Amino acid sequence: MQIKVNDLSYIYSENSKDLYYKALNNLNLTIEEGDFFGIIGHTGSGKSTFIQHLNGLIGLQKDRGSIVIGDFDLSDKKCDYRALRSKIGMVFQYSEYQLFAETVFEDVAFGVKNFFKGITEKETEELVKNALTMVGFDYTVIKDKSPFELSGGQKRRVAIAGVIVTKPEILILDEPLVGLDPKGKGEFISLLKNMHGKDVKTIIIISHDMNFICENCNRVAVFSKGKIFKEGTPKEVFNNGEELISLGLELPLTAYLENGLKKCGITVESDLSVEDFVSSYTKRYKGDKV
Amino acid sequence: MKDITFGQYFPAKSFVHSLNASVKILLTIAFIVAVFLVNQYYFLGFALCFLFILITTAFAKIPFTKLLSSVRAVVFIVVFSAVLQVFFNKTGKVVFSWRFIKITDAGVYTAIYITVRILLIVIGASLLTYTTSPVEIADGLEFLLYPLKVIRFPVHEFALIMSIALRFIPTLMNETGRIIKAQKARGADFESGNIFKRAKALIPVLIPLLISAFRRADELADAMDARCYAGSKKRTKYKKATFSFRDAIGFITLGGLIAGVVLLNGFFGVIV
Ligand SMILES: Nc1ncnc2c1ncn2[C@@H]1O[C@H](COP(=O)(O)OP(=O)(O)OP(=O)(O)O)[C@@H](O)[C@H]1O
Ligand SMILES: [Mg+2]
Repeated sequence: MQIKVNDLSYIYSENSKDLYYKALNNLNLTIEEGDFFGIIGHTGSGKSTFIQHLNGLIGLQKDRGSIVIGDFDLSDKKCDYRALRSKIGMVFQYSEYQLFAETVFEDVAFGVKNFFKGITEKETEELVKNALTMVGFDYTVIKDKSPFELSGGQKRRVAIAGVIVTKPEILILDEPLVGLDPKGKGEFISLLKNMHGKDVKTIIIISHDMNFICENCNRVAVFSKGKIFKEGTPKEVFNNGEELISLGLELPLTAYLENGLKKCGITVESDLSVEDFVSSYTKRYKGDKV
Repeated sequence: MKDITFGQYFPAKSFVHSLNASVKILLTIAFIVAVFLVNQYYFLGFALCFLFILITTAFAKIPFTKLLSSVRAVVFIVVFSAVLQVFFNKTGKVVFSWRFIKITDAGVYTAIYITVRILLIVIGASLLTYTTSPVEIADGLEFLLYPLKVIRFPVHEFALIMSIALRFIPTLMNETGRIIKAQKARGADFESGNIFKRAKALIPVLIPLLISAFRRADELADAMDARCYAGSKKRTKYKKATFSFRDAIGFITLGGLIAGVVLLNGFFGVIV
């Protein structure tokens, strides 16, 4: 499913003078099926507000733009949000705090019971088993544990299993890497990469980790003041670093390295992924020697 | 949920804001007493109370629309009790009857009386919370309750509990919104079904909320420990509340209001 957002604006507390806030301002964006789409931007730039529009958790305001996702037209009053939400999985920031059931199994099965009314126990178990295995758990070990006796990182993986269990086509994640240790982060990233293109077609991810964004996303949008400041491949977005830094963002390490080397008179051209940077640099270095 | 503005502090620099919090609490109580003193059959005292509200609001530099929004929270209770009075009060003269419905003059009278009373009290109380921050209110209460120390009532701890509770209301409201959204994204449905079904649908919200409240309480306790907090023993205050000439003006005005109400009651009681 393609996501097409046209002229979207959103105002918080419209009727209050002191709380009035225009969080989104005529935003236009298209996300294609199959994208691994990164969203970056300073705090308060409207990223979370934007993604919550995509599954109807924040409703469109009258005459403030349109969103069309596949066959769903969100500005249509008759739009079936339940069906939409089963197609679009949303993992919130600090998702580990949404767990509530007595066992991991029940918690993960929550979405299944909500979305697929009348599904058999056996089918449910199949889905839950799939999801828990996908996020790297041993199903028989984990299923009867209480979610509250797990570590933070494990809880987060259970929460994600609870979202992907209904096999959404699009998975949206709001800063999922915050607070994970390097190992947990690495595991999490490879989990996402594994799912992408197979279990979920499109992944949209908000992150402040530029290295991660640059390394994994095929497209990146930079939010600023409720608008898209810039959009394109990581290379296109991070190439002109000054303007991003002036927005209060950082660059991926490879971009810093390229800039630094340029100042020393060494021009390296890569797509800013570590692998490509290393090979371009090695080529260049060896070339100099000869 | 965002619409409930009842009791939210409205920061400004004004005469009313600058009054001592303890004094404001006392004045609020006095105001409520004045409202209760108004004679059941002669409403003129209400006009005086309302005038008092208007003047105070003007002096507090609070927009008048704020008064309306504080009323919004209690609309249901007000309408409910008024309707009850109009239709079920059987005393007095019947002024309207249709089939089994009989409306009496006393019923209508009492309905108006109760409505105005509740509205005035709510507005009066919200004037206190609009012009006094939760911390100030807690400090003011602590001061007022000080005499209870004699009977070993833990006044300071009580005030601290109050101010912490007040402080966490907005935080927990935010948290509730967040959790509701997270569960909705997983297909939770809070809007349909009968009352039992809806109550059951709240479990996935309440449990995470409780857990996070306990977590926050734990963290707060640790933070207080780390700063060597040790109860009420020899604590000094960062902001010392003082009394000034303005507070005297407050007392005088309210004294005037009560006297006015009593006078109006008596006056009309005699004439009519
Ligand atoms: N419920 C709300 N009421 C009023 N204003 C809000 C509300 N939620 C968010 N805002 C405001 O809208 C703006 C955008 O918020 P949003 O959460 O979308 O930012 P963000 O880009 O996700 O930031 P972060 O990186 O900190 O998560 C912020 O300035 C915030 O103060
Ligand atoms: Mg956010």
